[in-house]
Amino acid sequence: MVERLLLSSTPSTLNLPALDVAHTPSLLEVQSDSTVVSESTISTESTLGVADETGATSDRTSDTRCITEEQPGCPPWRVVTSTFITIFLAEIGDKTQVSTLLMSAEFHKPWTVFLGAGAALVATTLLGVWLGQWLSTRLSPRTLDVAAGILLALISASLIWDVLQM
Amino acid sequence: MDWQLLGLAFVTVFVSELGDKSQLAAIAISGGSKSPRAVFLGASAALLLASFLGVIVGEGTAHFLPAKAVKIMAAVGFMIISIRLLLPKSDDDSEEATP
Repeated sequence: MVERLLLSSTPSTLNLPALDVAHTPSLLEVQSDSTVVSESTISTESTLGVADETGATSDRTSDTRCITEEQPGCPPWRVVTSTFITIFLAEIGDKTQVSTLLMSAEFHKPWTVFLGAGAALVATTLLGVWLGQWLSTRLSPRTLDVAAGILLALISASLIWDVLQM
Repeated sequence: MDWQLLGLAFVTVFVSELGDKSQLAAIAISGGSKSPRAVFLGASAALLLASFLGVIVGEGTAHFLPAKAVKIMAAVGFMIISIRLLLPKSDDDSEEATP
């Protein structure tokens, strides 16, 4: 499952030659399935290096951020690692971790607790990512960036608030 | 397999995690990103590791991580992503230009 997910996210990130992409239509199909149609078209074309001079490239395409964006030249693990690090740090000492800790201490069946908690966390993450992608098909990229930026700033502020309350 | 405990763990964590900050962060990051699978992989791995550590700590074989310092680092990380999302895109970030 993990390998499949990684595989299906590669065509748009690695600068694959046009031949490789042409031989993997199903992967491209999967990718464009979950992104805004116009955006995925632009990013796919610019990955292949054909759309850069058409004038159809938006400021989003010429943008070179790698932390939250997948761009040509931005390897996919940049997104994985930055997401991993921030969410892992935010989750340490959070109530979910404390509740798994307490359940595991009380019932002495750590693997059962881990399995249940892990499945729940993967499910909520899947819901979150799916909701984010759905929103990205409804809102303009700029609106979405501003909303996401404000949301993350609020999360950051709530983390600082947690620290001050400790 | 203790199905009752499995269900308890699942329901407890699922309910407490809905709308919690890590899910909101997943929504925000994936909404601003074109690679939902990468966001899903990173977030899932982080949450699994965090809950694994919780389980290990509950069994008494590990000690607490310095929660304060870790939370501050997380706050800084989210703030950096937030600022990058909020800033206009054309004028900054040129130091990472690798088109």
